[in-house]
Amino acid sequence: MRGEQSALSPRGPEAELLHGLTWLLSLGGAVIFLLTMLLLVLALTGRARWLASPRVMVMLGAVLPTIVLIALFAHSTGIVSALGRVVGAPLVIEVVARQFWWEVRYPEQGIVTANEIRLPVGRQAELRVTSPDVIHALWIPALHGKIDMIPGRENRLRLTAGEAGTWRGQCAEFCGSQHTLMALFAVAQPPAEFEAWAARQRAAPVPESAGRAVFARAGCGACHTVRGTEFSGRIGPDLTLIGTRQSLGAGTLENHRDTLLQWVSSPQRVKPGNAMPDFRGVLSDDELREVAEWLENLR
Amino acid sequence: MGIKDALARLRSEARDLGSHIWLNRPLVLGTVAAGLLGAGLFAWSGAYDIAASKGHWAIFEHGLRYGMRQSVATHSMGIVAPPLDDEALVRRGAGHYQGGCAPCHGAPGRPPNPITRAMLPEPPELGPRIAEWRPEELFRLVMHGIKYTGMPAWPAQQRPDEVWSVVAFLRRIPGMEETTYRRLAFGELADERERPEDAELTLRTGPAGEGIAACARCHGQDGQGTQDGAFPRISGQSETYLRQALHDYASGARPSGIMGPIAAGLTRAEIEGLARHYAHQPRPPAAPGSVERGRLIAEQGLPDRRVAACQGCHDGRNPAYPNLAGQHPRFIEEQLVLWMQGGRSAPGSTEAARIMFQAVGAPRAGDEHLWTLTRGDIRAVAAWYAGATN
Repeated sequence: MRGEQSALSPRGPEAELLHGLTWLLSLGGAVIFLLTMLLLVLALTGRARWLASPRVMVMLGAVLPTIVLIALFAHSTGIVSALGRVVGAPLVIEVVARQFWWEVRYPEQGIVTANEIRLPVGRQAELRVTSPDVIHALWIPALHGKIDMIPGRENRLRLTAGEAGTWRGQCAEFCGSQHTLMALFAVAQPPAEFEAWAARQRAAPVPESAGRAVFARAGCGACHTVRGTEFSGRIGPDLTLIGTRQSLGAGTLENHRDTLLQWVSSPQRVKPGNAMPDFRGVLSDDELREVAEWLENLR
Repeated sequence: MGIKDALARLRSEARDLGSHIWLNRPLVLGTVAAGLLGAGLFAWSGAYDIAASKGHWAIFEHGLRYGMRQSVATHSMGIVAPPLDDEALVRRGAGHYQGGCAPCHGAPGRPPNPITRAMLPEPPELGPRIAEWRPEELFRLVMHGIKYTGMPAWPAQQRPDEVWSVVAFLRRIPGMEETTYRRLAFGELADERERPEDAELTLRTGPAGEGIAACARCHGQDGQGTQDGAFPRISGQSETYLRQALHDYASGARPSGIMGPIAAGLTRAEIEGLARHYAHQPRPPAAPGSVERGRLIAEQGLPDRRVAACQGCHDGRNPAYPNLAGQHPRFIEEQLVLWMQGGRSAPGSTEAARIMFQAVGAPRAGDEHLWTLTRGDIRAVAAWYAGATN
């Protein structure tokens, strides 16, 4: 999608403020630079003797820059304060970055998901971000600027999706061997669809199939939670309704049965150094297929 | 004289020497060639007698012994001995000694056998000799063996903990009674009684029942291990897991200098028989006792340290994973320490071992500060499992 991950395609009021400031600074800087160069040429070729007057030098060299800088300071202060404004009752979303994925929690709704932030269009969301391991940074350029995710500290970022759509974000602070493959998606939906999604997440239906028994036997529940089952591990991503997600491995693979099979079989080949062990060789090919099928049907 | 002057002088002397050699190059090259030719002729002629029956010239032997002592003393610098006055360590060392050392070195009350006595050098009886070595030197000798003798290196170099148990036992040898030795090395088999129900198994596991004898010396015929935790309980584990463990020990995928040689000596059929035997022994009764921290780690893991919930796999549901309930806490502790140190994730280890490596949070070997489970955590988990029922 065009502008999927671009600060030049703002899709919400906060991003638009930043976008406007970016253009103002870039274009304004360009204009001042060109004017300065023009004056330099005039001065060097001796065509503008009036430049030599002390009065002109003070006006252009001190008074004008002071006015411009003060004006910019006032303008950007206004933007910072506008970015800090709370609009209505923001939707609280906790985002916890780990090597190398994102846990996304909706405390008010009692929902936990991963590598994907669902947003209702038009309602401000307050992201409370932190990390238990190393410093990461969350950056969804279409919606806002970067925010650091620092162990032992909670940072906040308020953003609003102005229209429905799916935008990509990624970790913007080097966090280890798979920093490159640590992405996420922001999915904005009209409020009714968002509510339907949330209701589905809370209901969390779990189909019964052979794959579930394999999942249990292999010990997957030691690390993964699937709401509505006995699996309650909290080391890896919550897999509740994983079949509905945009991607696998934090934006590494598309999400369908084949890629699920690939990921469960040999995640260390797909994304070396991540915390998920290979299950090829421990589970038979049939068992791996059954697990992938069961996971795909969690939706 | 400054260091610069010294270097300058050294350089000029080296230059002098170099040019001296260069000017006399026919002489130098001739001498070297003649030496090589002479050595080659000597080897070719076969005049040197390599017979073990002859022994070395006394002066040569003296030099060899001196060289060995000096080498061991130098190479054992920097080794730090753990506490060795630990009965469980001694028991463990004794169990291995009987199978791995006694054939050459003999044991209290049992002189070495005549075949190995004819080796050159003759493997010494250890009783009178142990006191000549510091524990760190004994460690060096057992861990690395001695070149050009029959003394082998420890077959699993990742397991210094096992070598220390042998050292702990070796230090007890001077003056040891035969009965003491039998009790240490043979455990419940020391009085050579045999349960009737094991007779058939004994027949099946080798002509002299060596298979079960090798297991039972330490783990007991009923697989309960020992109360002091010197040896783990293997009773009631699944056949699948016991069979896999023996195969992994035999192949070296699970490194152990104690279990490796025993497992490698078993045939496929013997392994089947032993796995079946121990899988059908009753599970140990659970000891009362619950440790909150241990329960937490076992049931929920430590998410922020990437440690998975132990019970996800070790609750006895999957026959491929060991059931830890009722295991001697000391054994669990030591195995977890091995995981933290990297001693169980050898290159070429099995897929299951790689899962466990990730499940304990992929700890960085060596640096205890980077262990994902602290020593306290490890003790708590072990204590919890000792009292658990799965």
